[in-house]
Amino acid sequence: MTVVPARSSKWVRPVTSQEPASAIIEIDRVSQVFQTSARKDHVALSDISLTIEEGAFVSILGPSGCGKSTLLYIVGGFVSPTSGSAKIKGHAITGPGPDRGPVFQEFALFPWKTVLGNVIYGPRQQGVRAAEAEAQSRALIKMVGLKGYENFYPKELSGGMKQRVALARTLAYHPEVLLMDEPFGALDAHTRTRLQNDLLNIWERDRKTVLFVTHSVDEAVFLSDKVVMMSKSPGRIREVIDIDLPRPRRRSELLLDPRYQKYVVDIERMFDESDEAGPAS
Amino acid sequence: MSPAALLRRVAPVLACIGLLAVWQVASLALKNDSFPTATEAIRAIPDILGDKESLINILASLRRMALGFGVAVLISIPLGLLMGRSRGVAAFFNPLLMVIYPVPKAALMPIIMLWLGVGDVTKTLVIFLGVSLPVIYHSFEGAKAVEEKMLWSGAAMGLSPAQRLVRIVLPAALPEILTGCRTGLVLALITMITSEMIARQSGAGNILFNALDMGQYDTVFAMIIIVGAMGISLDAIFERVRARLVRWSEPQFDMPLSFS
Repeated sequence: MTVVPARSSKWVRPVTSQEPASAIIEIDRVSQVFQTSARKDHVALSDISLTIEEGAFVSILGPSGCGKSTLLYIVGGFVSPTSGSAKIKGHAITGPGPDRGPVFQEFALFPWKTVLGNVIYGPRQQGVRAAEAEAQSRALIKMVGLKGYENFYPKELSGGMKQRVALARTLAYHPEVLLMDEPFGALDAHTRTRLQNDLLNIWERDRKTVLFVTHSVDEAVFLSDKVVMMSKSPGRIREVIDIDLPRPRRRSELLLDPRYQKYVVDIERMFDESDEAGPAS
Repeated sequence: MSPAALLRRVAPVLACIGLLAVWQVASLALKNDSFPTATEAIRAIPDILGDKESLINILASLRRMALGFGVAVLISIPLGLLMGRSRGVAAFFNPLLMVIYPVPKAALMPIIMLWLGVGDVTKTLVIFLGVSLPVIYHSFEGAKAVEEKMLWSGAAMGLSPAQRLVRIVLPAALPEILTGCRTGLVLALITMITSEMIARQSGAGNILFNALDMGQYDTVFAMIIIVGAMGISLDAIFERVRARLVRWSEPQFDMPLSFS
Protein backbone atom coordinates (compact mmCIF):
# COMPACT_ATOMS: atom_id res chain seq x y z
CA MET A 1 0.00 0.00 0.00
CA THR A 2 2.91 2.34 0.55
CA VAL A 3 5.01 3.32 -2.36
CA VAL A 4 8.36 4.65 -1.32
CA PRO A 5 9.49 6.90 -4.12
CA ALA A 6 12.95 6.42 -5.48
CA ARG A 7 15.50 8.98 -4.44
CA SER A 8 15.17 11.15 -7.47
CA SER A 9 15.27 14.63 -6.08
CA LYS A 10 18.37 16.54 -6.95
CA TRP A 11 18.20 18.17 -3.54
CA VAL A 12 18.48 15.09 -1.42
CA ARG A 13 21.90 14.62 -0.02
CA PRO A 14 22.40 10.91 0.50
CA VAL A 15 23.40 9.94 4.01
CA THR A 16 25.71 6.98 3.95
CA SER A 17 27.73 5.00 6.41
CA GLN A 18 30.64 7.40 6.38
CA GLU A 19 29.05 9.37 9.22
CA PRO A 20 31.19 9.76 12.33
CA ALA A 21 30.74 7.29 15.16
CA SER A 22 29.24 9.92 17.46
CA ALA A 23 25.83 9.70 15.76
CA ILE A 24 23.09 9.69 18.39
CA ILE A 25 20.03 9.63 16.15
CA GLU A 26 19.83 7.84 12.84
CA ILE A 27 16.80 8.22 10.63
CA ASP A 28 16.84 5.74 7.80
CA ARG A 29 14.53 6.05 4.76
CA VAL A 30 11.53 7.10 6.82
CA SER A 31 8.22 7.68 5.05
CA GLN A 32 4.92 8.63 6.60
CA VAL A 33 1.64 8.35 4.77
CA PHE A 34 -1.66 9.49 6.27
CA GLN A 35 -4.89 8.30 4.79
CA THR A 36 -6.93 11.48 4.50
CA SER A 37 -9.87 9.91 2.69
CA ALA A 38 -10.79 6.57 1.21
CA ARG A 39 -9.17 7.33 -2.12
CA LYS A 40 -6.45 9.83 -1.33
CA ASP A 41 -3.29 9.39 0.71
CA HIS A 42 -1.27 12.29 2.02
CA VAL A 43 2.46 11.66 1.91
CA ALA A 44 3.72 13.65 4.90
CA LEU A 45 7.28 12.39 4.73
CA SER A 46 8.99 10.75 1.81
CA ASP A 47 12.20 8.80 2.16
CA ILE A 48 13.90 10.84 4.85
CA SER A 49 17.41 9.85 5.90
CA LEU A 50 19.27 11.93 8.43
CA THR A 51 21.95 11.45 11.03
CA ILE A 52 22.26 13.68 14.05
CA GLU A 53 25.50 13.85 15.97
CA GLU A 54 25.71 13.87 19.71
CA GLY A 55 25.79 17.37 21.17
CA ALA A 56 24.61 19.07 17.98
CA PHE A 57 21.91 21.70 17.78
CA VAL A 58 20.00 20.75 14.66
CA SER A 59 17.02 22.66 13.31
CA ILE A 60 14.47 21.25 10.93
CA LEU A 61 13.24 24.15 8.85
CA GLY A 62 10.38 24.14 6.41
CA PRO A 63 7.01 25.54 5.44
CA SER A 64 3.95 24.37 7.34
CA GLY A 65 2.74 21.03 6.05
CA CYS A 66 6.20 19.72 5.15
CA GLY A 67 6.01 17.05 7.86
CA LYS A 68 8.77 18.49 10.03
CA SER A 69 6.79 18.00 13.24
CA THR A 70 5.88 14.49 12.17
CA LEU A 71 9.57 13.72 11.80
CA LEU A 72 10.14 14.95 15.35
CA TYR A 73 7.24 12.83 16.65
CA ILE A 74 8.77 9.78 14.97
CA VAL A 75 12.06 10.39 16.78
CA GLY A 76 10.07 10.91 19.99
CA GLY A 77 8.37 7.55 19.48
CA PHE A 78 4.93 9.19 19.59
CA VAL A 79 4.21 8.26 15.97
CA SER A 80 5.35 5.15 14.10
CA PRO A 81 6.60 5.69 10.56
CA THR A 82 4.78 3.96 7.71
CA SER A 83 8.13 2.64 6.51
CA GLY A 84 11.78 3.04 7.36
CA SER A 85 13.28 3.20 10.82
CA ALA A 86 14.66 5.58 13.41
CA LYS A 87 17.33 4.70 15.93
CA ILE A 88 18.73 6.29 19.04
CA LYS A 89 22.23 5.18 20.05
CA GLY A 90 21.84 2.22 17.72
CA HIS A 91 18.56 1.02 19.25
CA ALA A 92 15.37 1.08 17.20
CA ILE A 93 12.85 3.61 18.51
CA THR A 94 9.64 1.76 19.39
CA GLY A 95 8.00 4.25 21.74
CA PRO A 96 8.54 7.32 23.91
CA GLY A 97 11.22 7.22 26.57
CA PRO A 98 12.98 9.51 29.05
CA ASP A 99 16.08 9.62 26.84
CA ARG A 100 14.13 11.94 24.50
CA GLY A 101 12.43 14.92 26.11
CA PRO A 102 9.77 16.80 24.13
CA VAL A 103 8.89 20.49 24.42
CA PHE A 104 5.73 21.37 22.51
CA GLN A 105 4.40 24.61 21.07
CA GLU A 106 1.23 24.01 23.14
CA PHE A 107 3.33 23.73 26.36
CA ALA A 108 1.27 20.68 27.43
CA LEU A 109 1.85 21.43 31.12
CA PHE A 110 -0.17 19.58 33.74
CA PRO A 111 -2.64 22.33 34.74
CA TRP A 112 -3.52 20.69 38.08
CA LYS A 113 0.11 20.86 39.19
CA THR A 114 2.00 23.93 40.32
CA VAL A 115 5.20 25.02 38.59
CA LEU A 116 7.20 22.96 41.07
CA GLY A 117 4.76 20.07 40.74
CA ASN A 118 5.24 20.04 36.98
CA VAL A 119 9.03 20.19 37.10
CA ILE A 120 9.39 17.56 39.83
CA TYR A 121 7.04 15.14 38.05
CA GLY A 122 9.67 13.55 35.79
CA PRO A 123 12.38 13.02 38.41
CA ARG A 124 9.85 11.55 40.85
CA GLN A 125 8.60 9.21 38.13
CA GLN A 126 12.23 8.17 37.56
CA GLY A 127 12.51 7.29 41.25
CA VAL A 128 14.60 10.22 42.47
CA ARG A 129 14.08 10.75 46.21
CA ALA A 130 11.67 13.57 47.08
CA ALA A 131 14.14 15.91 48.79
CA GLU A 132 16.73 15.54 46.06
CA ALA A 133 14.17 15.91 43.27
CA GLU A 134 12.81 19.06 44.89
CA ALA A 135 16.24 20.65 45.24
CA GLN A 136 17.05 19.89 41.59
CA SER A 137 13.67 21.18 40.43
CA ARG A 138 13.99 24.42 42.38
CA ALA A 139 17.43 24.96 40.85
CA LEU A 140 16.01 24.38 37.35
CA ILE A 141 13.12 26.77 37.96
CA LYS A 142 15.65 29.37 39.01
CA MET A 143 17.74 28.65 35.92
CA VAL A 144 14.82 29.28 33.55
CA GLY A 145 14.16 32.55 35.38
CA LEU A 146 11.03 31.64 37.34
CA LYS A 147 12.29 31.85 40.92
CA GLY A 148 9.39 32.92 43.12
CA TYR A 149 6.77 31.27 40.89
CA GLU A 150 7.22 27.73 42.29
CA ASN A 151 3.70 27.58 43.73
CA PHE A 152 1.86 29.20 40.82
CA TYR A 153 -0.51 27.20 38.65
CA PRO A 154 -0.01 27.23 34.86
CA LYS A 155 -3.21 29.26 34.33
CA GLU A 156 -1.62 32.08 36.32
CA LEU A 157 1.39 32.30 33.97
CA SER A 158 1.93 34.02 30.62
CA GLY A 159 2.76 32.02 27.48
CA GLY A 160 6.48 32.70 27.74
CA MET A 161 6.53 31.64 31.39
CA LYS A 162 4.61 28.48 30.58
CA GLN A 163 7.18 27.55 27.96
CA ARG A 164 9.97 28.16 30.48
CA VAL A 165 8.23 25.74 32.85
CA ALA A 166 7.84 23.22 30.03
CA LEU A 167 11.57 23.46 29.27
CA ALA A 168 12.48 23.04 32.95
CA ARG A 169 10.07 20.11 33.27
CA THR A 170 11.76 18.33 30.37
CA LEU A 171 15.33 19.15 31.46
CA ALA A 172 14.47 17.83 34.93
CA TYR A 173 14.57 14.19 33.88
CA HIS A 174 17.86 14.60 31.98
CA PRO A 175 16.91 13.47 28.50
CA GLU A 176 19.84 12.90 26.17
CA VAL A 177 18.03 14.59 23.31
CA LEU A 178 15.71 17.58 23.50
CA LEU A 179 12.92 17.46 20.93
CA MET A 180 11.54 20.95 20.48
CA ASP A 181 8.42 21.29 18.33
CA GLU A 182 8.10 24.96 17.32
CA PRO A 183 8.46 25.80 21.00
CA PHE A 184 8.36 29.56 20.55
CA GLY A 185 5.78 29.56 17.76
CA ALA A 186 2.91 30.71 19.97
CA LEU A 187 4.80 33.57 21.60
CA ASP A 188 5.04 37.25 20.72
CA ALA A 189 8.21 38.49 19.01
CA HIS A 190 9.76 40.02 22.14
CA THR A 191 9.18 36.97 24.34
CA ARG A 192 10.36 34.75 21.53
CA THR A 193 13.69 36.58 21.28
CA ARG A 194 14.25 36.41 25.02
CA LEU A 195 13.51 32.71 25.12
CA GLN A 196 15.85 32.05 22.19
CA ASN A 197 18.66 33.83 24.05
CA ASP A 198 17.95 31.97 27.27
CA LEU A 199 17.70 28.63 25.48
CA LEU A 200 21.14 29.20 23.92
CA ASN A 201 22.61 30.15 27.30
CA ILE A 202 21.21 27.02 28.89
CA TRP A 203 22.25 24.85 25.97
CA GLU A 204 25.79 26.18 25.89
CA ARG A 205 26.30 24.93 29.46
CA ASP A 206 25.80 21.23 28.82
CA ARG A 207 25.45 20.93 25.03
CA LYS A 208 22.66 18.39 24.94
CA THR A 209 21.65 17.19 21.52
CA VAL A 210 18.72 19.32 20.33
CA LEU A 211 16.35 18.65 17.48
CA PHE A 212 14.48 21.89 16.93
CA VAL A 213 11.53 22.27 14.56
CA THR A 214 10.76 25.75 13.28
CA HIS A 215 9.51 27.66 10.26
CA SER A 216 11.56 30.74 11.12
CA VAL A 217 14.79 31.10 9.13
CA ASP A 218 16.32 33.60 11.62
CA GLU A 219 15.57 31.35 14.53
CA ALA A 220 17.10 28.30 12.84
CA VAL A 221 20.30 30.11 11.83
CA PHE A 222 20.68 31.87 15.18
CA LEU A 223 20.38 28.68 17.23
CA SER A 224 21.75 25.85 15.14
CA ASP A 225 24.91 24.05 14.16
CA LYS A 226 23.05 22.50 11.28
CA VAL A 227 19.87 23.45 9.46
CA VAL A 228 17.90 20.73 7.69
CA MET A 229 15.77 22.37 5.00
CA MET A 230 12.63 20.55 4.03
CA SER A 231 10.25 20.99 1.14
CA LYS A 232 6.61 19.97 1.18
CA SER A 233 4.22 17.75 -0.75
CA PRO A 234 5.74 15.31 -0.18
CA GLY A 235 7.99 16.23 2.74
CA ARG A 236 11.59 15.70 1.73
CA ILE A 237 14.97 16.93 2.85
CA ARG A 238 16.17 19.37 0.22
CA GLU A 239 19.38 20.61 1.78
CA VAL A 240 21.43 20.27 4.94
CA ILE A 241 23.39 23.41 5.75
CA ASP A 242 26.14 23.65 8.34
CA ILE A 243 25.99 26.94 10.18
CA ASP A 244 29.57 27.87 10.77
CA LEU A 245 29.20 30.71 13.25
CA PRO A 246 31.22 31.11 16.46
CA ARG A 247 29.81 30.27 19.86
CA PRO A 248 28.79 31.49 22.32
CA ARG A 249 26.52 33.48 20.10
CA ARG A 250 25.23 36.87 21.13
CA ARG A 251 22.26 38.20 19.23
CA SER A 252 23.55 41.77 19.16
CA GLU A 253 26.82 40.65 17.55
CA LEU A 254 25.30 38.06 15.28
CA LEU A 255 22.73 40.34 13.68
CA LEU A 256 25.60 42.55 12.45
CA ASP A 257 27.70 39.62 11.27
CA PRO A 258 27.70 39.38 7.44
CA ARG A 259 28.09 35.60 7.62
CA TYR A 260 24.85 35.33 9.63
CA GLN A 261 23.09 37.62 7.19
CA LYS A 262 24.32 35.56 4.24
CA TYR A 263 23.00 32.31 5.76
CA VAL A 264 19.59 33.87 6.28
CA VAL A 265 19.42 35.38 2.79
CA ASP A 266 20.70 32.23 1.08
CA ILE A 267 18.19 30.01 2.85
CA GLU A 268 15.31 32.37 2.16
CA ARG A 269 16.30 32.52 -1.50
CA MET A 270 16.37 28.73 -1.74
CA PHE A 271 12.84 28.56 -0.32
CA ASP A 272 11.65 31.21 -2.78
CA GLU A 273 13.08 29.28 -5.70
CA SER A 274 11.43 26.08 -4.67
CA ASP A 275 8.11 27.90 -4.27
CA GLU A 276 8.30 29.06 -7.85
CA ALA A 277 9.67 25.85 -9.35
CA GLY A 278 7.74 23.40 -7.20
CA PRO A 279 4.49 21.75 -8.22
CA ALA A 280 1.27 23.34 -7.11
CA SER A 281 0.27 21.78 -3.82
CA MET B 1 -16.92 43.27 51.95
CA SER B 2 -18.23 45.63 49.31
CA PRO B 3 -22.00 46.13 48.99
CA ALA B 4 -21.99 44.31 45.64
CA ALA B 5 -20.18 41.29 47.12
CA LEU B 6 -22.51 41.30 50.10
CA LEU B 7 -25.50 41.32 47.76
CA ARG B 8 -24.06 38.38 45.83
CA ARG B 9 -23.72 36.40 49.04
CA VAL B 10 -27.22 37.03 50.34
CA ALA B 11 -28.92 36.80 46.92
CA PRO B 12 -29.86 33.10 47.27
CA VAL B 13 -31.33 33.77 50.73
CA LEU B 14 -33.33 36.65 49.31
CA ALA B 15 -34.55 34.35 46.52
CA CYS B 16 -35.78 31.87 49.16
CA ILE B 17 -37.57 34.55 51.15
CA GLY B 18 -39.09 35.90 47.93
CA LEU B 19 -40.41 32.49 46.92
CA LEU B 20 -41.92 31.90 50.37
CA ALA B 21 -43.53 35.35 50.30
CA VAL B 22 -45.13 34.73 46.90
CA TRP B 23 -46.34 31.36 48.18
CA GLN B 24 -47.81 32.96 51.34
CA VAL B 25 -49.64 35.65 49.37
CA ALA B 26 -50.92 33.22 46.72
CA SER B 27 -52.17 30.81 49.37
CA LEU B 28 -53.98 33.55 51.32
CA ALA B 29 -55.56 34.84 48.11
CA LEU B 30 -56.71 31.43 46.84
CA LYS B 31 -58.03 30.17 50.21
CA ASN B 32 -57.86 26.54 49.07
CA ASP B 33 -57.71 23.61 51.54
CA SER B 34 -55.13 21.78 49.45
CA PHE B 35 -52.85 24.82 49.35
CA PRO B 36 -51.69 25.69 52.88
CA THR B 37 -49.76 28.88 53.54
CA ALA B 38 -46.00 28.88 53.77
CA THR B 39 -46.12 29.49 57.52
CA GLU B 40 -48.43 26.50 58.05
CA ALA B 41 -46.07 24.29 56.06
CA ILE B 42 -43.01 25.53 57.94
CA ARG B 43 -44.79 24.95 61.25
CA ALA B 44 -45.34 21.30 60.26
CA ILE B 45 -41.62 20.68 59.71
CA PRO B 46 -40.65 20.19 63.41
CA ASP B 47 -43.46 17.62 63.76
CA ILE B 48 -42.00 15.55 60.96
CA LEU B 49 -38.38 15.86 62.07
CA GLY B 50 -39.38 15.17 65.68
CA ASP B 51 -41.14 11.94 64.75
CA LYS B 52 -38.85 8.92 65.11
CA GLU B 53 -40.66 6.95 62.42
CA SER B 54 -40.33 9.76 59.88
CA LEU B 55 -36.69 10.29 60.76
CA ILE B 56 -35.92 6.59 60.19
CA ASN B 57 -37.69 6.83 56.84
CA ILE B 58 -35.74 9.87 55.74
CA LEU B 59 -32.45 8.37 56.87
CA ALA B 60 -33.25 5.17 54.96
CA SER B 61 -33.84 7.30 51.86
CA LEU B 62 -30.51 9.05 52.31
CA ARG B 63 -28.71 5.75 52.82
CA ARG B 64 -30.07 4.32 49.56
CA MET B 65 -29.21 7.51 47.79
CA ALA B 66 -25.64 7.53 49.11
CA LEU B 67 -25.16 3.88 48.17
CA GLY B 68 -26.65 4.25 44.67
CA PHE B 69 -24.67 7.42 44.03
CA GLY B 70 -21.41 6.05 45.43
CA VAL B 71 -21.47 2.79 43.49
CA ALA B 72 -22.54 4.60 40.32
CA VAL B 73 -19.65 7.06 40.57
CA LEU B 74 -17.11 4.32 41.33
CA ILE B 75 -18.14 2.36 38.22
CA SER B 76 -19.00 5.21 35.85
CA ILE B 77 -15.83 7.28 36.14
CA PRO B 78 -13.41 4.49 35.13
CA LEU B 79 -15.79 3.33 32.39
CA GLY B 80 -16.22 6.86 31.00
CA LEU B 81 -12.47 7.50 31.06
CA LEU B 82 -11.74 4.22 29.28
CA MET B 83 -14.37 5.03 26.66
CA GLY B 84 -12.81 8.44 26.14
CA ARG B 85 -9.33 7.03 25.56
CA SER B 86 -10.07 3.77 23.76
CA ARG B 87 -11.91 3.66 20.49
CA GLY B 88 -12.73 -0.02 21.02
CA VAL B 89 -14.32 0.48 24.44
CA ALA B 90 -16.26 3.50 23.16
CA ALA B 91 -17.49 1.60 20.09
CA PHE B 92 -18.75 -1.20 22.35
CA PHE B 93 -20.53 0.89 24.99
CA ASN B 94 -21.72 3.92 23.04
CA PRO B 95 -24.65 2.28 21.20
CA LEU B 96 -25.78 0.67 24.45
CA LEU B 97 -25.68 3.96 26.35
CA MET B 98 -27.36 5.82 23.49
CA VAL B 99 -30.34 3.49 23.87
CA ILE B 100 -30.44 3.62 27.68
CA TYR B 101 -29.80 7.37 28.05
CA PRO B 102 -33.22 8.79 27.07
CA VAL B 103 -35.23 6.06 28.83
CA PRO B 104 -36.64 7.40 32.12
CA LYS B 105 -35.10 5.12 34.72
CA ALA B 106 -38.28 5.21 36.82
CA ALA B 107 -40.08 3.60 33.88
CA LEU B 108 -37.92 0.52 34.40
CA MET B 109 -39.07 0.22 38.00
CA PRO B 110 -42.07 -2.04 37.44
CA ILE B 111 -39.83 -4.66 35.84
CA ILE B 112 -37.12 -4.31 38.46
CA MET B 113 -39.76 -4.55 41.19
CA LEU B 114 -41.08 -7.69 39.57
CA TRP B 115 -37.63 -9.28 39.64
CA LEU B 116 -36.10 -7.88 42.78
CA GLY B 117 -39.07 -6.93 44.96
CA VAL B 118 -40.00 -3.55 46.40
CA GLY B 119 -37.13 -3.34 48.88
CA ASP B 120 -33.86 -1.48 49.11
CA VAL B 121 -32.19 -3.32 46.22
CA THR B 122 -34.71 -2.14 43.65
CA LYS B 123 -34.67 1.47 44.79
CA THR B 124 -30.88 1.62 45.06
CA LEU B 125 -30.57 0.09 41.60
CA VAL B 126 -32.83 2.75 40.09
CA ILE B 127 -30.79 5.50 41.76
CA PHE B 128 -27.63 3.81 40.45
CA LEU B 129 -29.01 3.83 36.90
CA GLY B 130 -30.09 7.45 37.15
CA VAL B 131 -26.70 8.62 38.35
CA SER B 132 -24.52 6.47 36.07
CA LEU B 133 -25.35 7.98 32.71
CA PRO B 134 -24.48 11.64 33.27
CA VAL B 135 -21.30 10.62 35.10
CA ILE B 136 -20.26 8.26 32.30
CA TYR B 137 -21.07 10.87 29.68
CA HIS B 138 -19.11 13.67 31.33
CA SER B 139 -16.15 11.39 32.15
CA PHE B 140 -16.15 10.28 28.53
CA GLU B 141 -16.21 13.84 27.20
CA GLY B 142 -13.55 14.93 29.70
CA ALA B 143 -11.21 12.07 28.81
CA LYS B 144 -11.72 12.62 25.09
CA ALA B 145 -10.72 16.27 25.40
CA VAL B 146 -7.39 15.59 27.13
CA GLU B 147 -4.60 17.09 25.07
CA GLU B 148 -2.66 14.41 23.23
CA LYS B 149 0.63 16.19 23.90
CA MET B 150 0.04 16.15 27.65
CA LEU B 151 -0.13 12.36 27.39
CA TRP B 152 2.98 12.31 25.21
CA SER B 153 4.80 14.38 27.82
CA GLY B 154 3.82 11.81 30.43
CA ALA B 155 4.86 8.93 28.17
CA ALA B 156 8.28 10.52 27.68
CA MET B 157 8.68 10.63 31.48
CA GLY B 158 8.09 6.90 31.53
CA LEU B 159 4.42 6.63 32.53
CA SER B 160 2.78 3.40 31.35
CA PRO B 161 -0.63 3.56 29.62
CA ALA B 162 -2.38 2.61 32.88
CA GLN B 163 -0.45 5.24 34.83
CA ARG B 164 -1.32 7.84 32.20
CA LEU B 165 -5.01 7.04 32.60
CA VAL B 166 -4.92 7.44 36.39
CA ARG B 167 -2.35 10.20 36.72
CA ILE B 168 -2.99 12.34 33.64
CA VAL B 169 -6.40 11.59 32.13
CA LEU B 170 -8.20 11.45 35.50
CA PRO B 171 -6.92 14.77 36.90
CA ALA B 172 -7.12 16.51 33.52
CA ALA B 173 -10.74 15.42 33.11
CA LEU B 174 -11.67 16.07 36.75
CA PRO B 175 -13.50 19.39 36.20
CA GLU B 176 -15.72 17.73 33.61
CA ILE B 177 -16.16 14.58 35.72
CA LEU B 178 -17.28 16.63 38.72
CA THR B 179 -19.77 18.51 36.57
CA GLY B 180 -21.23 15.10 35.75
CA CYS B 181 -21.23 14.12 39.42
CA ARG B 182 -23.08 17.29 40.36
CA THR B 183 -25.80 16.50 37.82
CA GLY B 184 -25.73 12.92 39.10
CA LEU B 185 -26.25 14.03 42.69
CA VAL B 186 -29.41 15.96 41.85
CA LEU B 187 -30.60 13.04 39.73
CA ALA B 188 -29.97 10.72 42.67
CA LEU B 189 -32.36 12.79 44.77
CA ILE B 190 -34.97 12.82 41.99
CA THR B 191 -34.79 9.08 41.38
CA MET B 192 -34.76 8.43 45.13
CA ILE B 193 -38.09 10.24 45.63
CA THR B 194 -39.55 8.81 42.42
CA SER B 195 -38.62 5.26 43.37
CA GLU B 196 -40.31 5.72 46.75
CA MET B 197 -43.44 7.02 45.10
CA ILE B 198 -43.65 3.93 42.93
CA ALA B 199 -42.56 1.30 45.44
CA ARG B 200 -44.25 2.78 48.49
CA GLN B 201 -42.90 1.07 51.51
CA SER B 202 -40.58 3.48 53.24
CA GLY B 203 -38.68 6.71 52.66
CA ALA B 204 -39.24 10.41 52.27
CA GLY B 205 -41.34 9.98 49.12
CA ASN B 206 -43.58 7.58 51.00
CA ILE B 207 -44.22 10.06 53.84
CA LEU B 208 -45.14 12.67 51.26
CA PHE B 209 -47.65 10.46 49.47
CA ASN B 210 -49.15 9.03 52.65
CA ALA B 211 -49.83 12.57 53.82
CA LEU B 212 -51.40 13.34 50.44
CA ASP B 213 -53.69 10.30 50.73
CA MET B 214 -54.80 11.40 54.18
CA GLY B 215 -55.33 15.00 53.14
CA GLN B 216 -52.62 16.36 55.46
CA TYR B 217 -51.63 19.08 53.05
CA ASP B 218 -49.43 21.00 55.46
CA THR B 219 -47.35 17.82 55.89
CA VAL B 220 -47.17 17.39 52.11
CA PHE B 221 -45.80 20.89 51.66
CA ALA B 222 -43.50 20.54 54.67
CA MET B 223 -42.02 17.40 53.09
CA ILE B 224 -41.51 19.27 49.82
CA ILE B 225 -39.57 21.90 51.77
CA ILE B 226 -37.51 19.22 53.58
CA VAL B 227 -36.67 17.36 50.37
CA GLY B 228 -35.89 20.64 48.61
CA ALA B 229 -33.64 21.72 51.47
CA MET B 230 -31.88 18.36 51.31
CA GLY B 231 -31.21 18.88 47.61
CA ILE B 232 -29.97 22.41 48.10
CA SER B 233 -27.66 21.45 50.98
CA LEU B 234 -26.23 18.43 49.19
CA ASP B 235 -25.59 20.51 46.10
CA ALA B 236 -23.96 23.28 48.13
CA ILE B 237 -21.71 20.83 49.99
CA PHE B 238 -20.75 19.13 46.75
CA GLU B 239 -20.05 22.46 45.08
CA ARG B 240 -17.68 23.37 47.93
CA VAL B 241 -15.78 20.11 47.54
CA ARG B 242 -15.72 20.49 43.76
CA ALA B 243 -14.42 24.05 43.88
CA ARG B 244 -11.65 22.96 46.22
CA LEU B 245 -10.61 20.04 44.01
CA VAL B 246 -10.46 21.96 40.75
CA ARG B 247 -9.27 25.35 41.96
CA TRP B 248 -6.45 25.07 39.39
CA SER B 249 -8.91 25.15 36.49
CA GLU B 250 -11.39 27.77 37.64
CA PRO B 251 -11.45 31.19 36.04
CA GLN B 252 -10.68 34.01 38.45
CA PHE B 253 -14.30 35.15 38.65
CA ASP B 254 -17.36 32.98 38.45
CA MET B 255 -21.12 33.19 38.19
CA PRO B 256 -22.83 32.50 41.49
CA LEU B 257 -24.61 29.25 40.71
CA SER B 258 -24.92 27.72 44.13
CA PHE B 259 -25.42 28.40 47.80
CA SER B 260 -21.84 27.69 48.77
